[in-house]
Amino acid sequence: MTTTSALPTSVIIQTAGLTKVYGANGAAVHALRGVDLTVNKGEFVALVGPSGSGKSTLMAILGCLDLPTEGTYALDGLPVHGLSGGELARIRNEKVGFVFQSYNLLPKASIVRNVELPMLYAGVGRKERRERALALLEKVGIAEKADKLPATLSGGQKQRVAVARALANQPALLLADEPTGALDSKTGAEVLQLFQELHQQGHTLLLVTHDPSIAALAQRRVEIRDGEVVMGGTWEDSMSSQVPGTHLTEPLVGVGR
Amino acid sequence: MTARASGAFRERLFEAWVELRENFGRSILQALGVLLGVASVLGGFSISDSMRKRSNEMFVKMGGLDKLNVQPKAAIRDGRPTALQQANLGLRDADAIGGEALKAEAIQGVSRQKFARARVVSPYSDQDRQVRGIGGDYIPTNGYSIAKGRGFSGSEMESGAPVAILGTEAANTFFPQGEALGQTLRIGDIPVTVIGTFQDRVFRFREDQGNQFWWRNRIIAVPTTLVQRRMNGDAYRRLDQVTFRIPDMGAMKGFALQLKNLVKSNHRLQEDFRLDDVAARVRRQESQGDAYNIIFMLSGMLALVGGGIVNVNIQMASLKERVREVGVKMAIGASGREVFKGFMTEALLLTAMGSLMGLLLGVGFSWIITKSIGIPLHMTPASFVWAYGLALAFGFLFALYPAWKASRLSPMEALRYE
Repeated sequence: MTTTSALPTSVIIQTAGLTKVYGANGAAVHALRGVDLTVNKGEFVALVGPSGSGKSTLMAILGCLDLPTEGTYALDGLPVHGLSGGELARIRNEKVGFVFQSYNLLPKASIVRNVELPMLYAGVGRKERRERALALLEKVGIAEKADKLPATLSGGQKQRVAVARALANQPALLLADEPTGALDSKTGAEVLQLFQELHQQGHTLLLVTHDPSIAALAQRRVEIRDGEVVMGGTWEDSMSSQVPGTHLTEPLVGVGR
Repeated sequence: MTARASGAFRERLFEAWVELRENFGRSILQALGVLLGVASVLGGFSISDSMRKRSNEMFVKMGGLDKLNVQPKAAIRDGRPTALQQANLGLRDADAIGGEALKAEAIQGVSRQKFARARVVSPYSDQDRQVRGIGGDYIPTNGYSIAKGRGFSGSEMESGAPVAILGTEAANTFFPQGEALGQTLRIGDIPVTVIGTFQDRVFRFREDQGNQFWWRNRIIAVPTTLVQRRMNGDAYRRLDQVTFRIPDMGAMKGFALQLKNLVKSNHRLQEDFRLDDVAARVRRQESQGDAYNIIFMLSGMLALVGGGIVNVNIQMASLKERVREVGVKMAIGASGREVFKGFMTEALLLTAMGSLMGLLLGVGFSWIITKSIGIPLHMTPASFVWAYGLALAFGFLFALYPAWKASRLSPMEALRYE
C-alpha cells in the first residue's frame, strides 16, 4: 500500500506504519495503529472518521505538532519523524498552514499582525511582512479590517483571517481541522468555497471533518477508524473504493505553486 | 529567510513592545513592582550618600581631615606616679619642632595649643573662662578665619605678647556695646588687647538643628607663649595639644610612626601621649555608615525580590491565560526557544522601562526624605547604575522560570488548553 504512487506527481505526505501510543504500558491508549497515507501535491483530501477514531492525533502528527511513537513520516520529501522540537517548529512554520475550528487567532493582536506572525518567525522583514499580510487579507476579502482586533469580526471573517495566516509562508500543506464546525451553514459554505478556490490554485489541502457533505467536496476521502485507515490511504486505493455519488476529479498537478 | 539572525534582536524588541502594549494592564502591574523596588534602592543609596556628603562638609568646616593630633595621656595606671613619670608629663615645644623637622616637605602646618582657665574681665562682663593659647597654624588648621583686625604676628607669638583674638560669642559677651577691637580685657591679672575677631562659625547638620559649632565661637585666643609664661606654664614649656596637617594621606601613616618614636625618645621612653589620626577616625565612623548603606541596600533588594516574586506570580497567572496563545504561536512556527526569548525580552523590556520610572520616583523619594531630615540631597551616578543594574539582574532572574515554563509547553496540549 505504501509503494510509490503510479502517478507522476510529487508526494506531499508519505507515512508508513504511523503509531501513536499515549500513556504508559498498563494504561496505554493506542490512538494510531499503523497508518499508511500518501497525499500528492495539489490534492484536496478529506479526513473523516468518528470522534475518537484518531483523526485529530493523525492531524497533529501530519502537522508536525506531535511526533509519532513509531513509523515514518515524510512531509514534502523531508523525513520529520525524530526531529527536535525546534526543527519541527521550523517545518510547521515553513511547510504547514493550520486552520482550526476555533480560529485560534491571537485576540489582542490586530488582524494584520495575526497574519504577519508566521512571517515574523520565518524572519521576514517588517515592511515585507506587512505588505504580504495585506495582500493575503485582500485575497481572502477582509483587507479593510486589517487594523481591527479579531473580536470585531464575524466567525466567517475570522476563519478567513485564519486562512490568510495559514497561507502566510506559502506552505506545502494546508491543514484544516473542522474549519466550518463553529460556523452557520451559509458562512460555512463561503469558507468551503474559499478552500475550493485554494485547491484550484494548486494548494494541497487536508481537511478534517465528520460531516459527509463537506467531505464530499473533496477529491478524495480518507476514512479512519480506531486508529487505522480503513479507506483511501492512497490515490489508487481511493479510486478503487470510490463511494458512489461523491465526485472525483483528477488531482491537479503542478498548478499554481 | 535572511533576517533570521541579523536584526533579530531589534525585531524581538519591537515584538515585545507590541506584546506589552497589547497586555497593557498586566504590564503596568508588573512594572509597578520593579518601579517601587528601584525607587527604594535608589532612595536608600541617596539618603546614605547625602548623609555622608553632609558629614564630609562638616569635617571640611572643622578644618579638614588631614590632621594628626598629639595629646598628653596619663602614663600612670595604678598608684602614685614615679618621679620619672611626673617629670615627663605633657608635650613640649620640642615635640612640635622635632615633629615638623621629620617630614617638613609633607607637613603643611603645625598648630600648638595650651589651655588655661582664668577669670576674664571686661567693663561689661566678668566670667571664668577657658583661654586657648594658640600657636603655629592653629587658625587655618581649625577652620577659623579672621573677620576683623589681624592674627598674631610672628614676634607676638615668640614673645608672648598680651594680645587676644575673640570668637563672636566672646566678643559679644565681653563687649556687648559694640566694637571689641582695640579694647582691653583682663585675663587673670594680665591686661590683654583685643587685636582681632574671628568669623562666626555656624554649622547645622540638619537644617532644623541648632548651631553645632556654637562653642567654637566662645574662643578667647592668646599666643601659646603667653599662657606658658604667665598663666599656666612651666620650665618645659609644655603643650596640651600639637596638631600636624599632612594633606598627603599616604605620608600620614609613616609620619605617625616616626613621630611616635621621636616623642617617645623625647619623653625618656614614657608613652605618656596619644596620637589621633583624624582621617582614620573618620574612616572608622564612615565604615559604620557603610553598615547603614548595606542595610539600605538590603532593604531595597528585598523590595526588588518582592517585586520579582510578584512578577513571577503575575507571569505564572498570565501564563495560564497565555497557554493557548503560546500554543497558537507554536503551531504557526514559533519554537520553544523563540517563545523563551520572547518571554524574556518582554520581561527585560518591562524591567528596563519600569526601572527608568523607578529611578525618577527614587529621585522624588530621596528628595522628600532628605528634605524632611533637613539635609541637602546628594546623589551619585553610581547609585543610579547600581539601582538600575540590580533591577535588571533581578528582572532577568525572575523572568527565567515563567519563560522556561512557557517554552516547555507542548504545542498540542497548549492548543487544546481551556
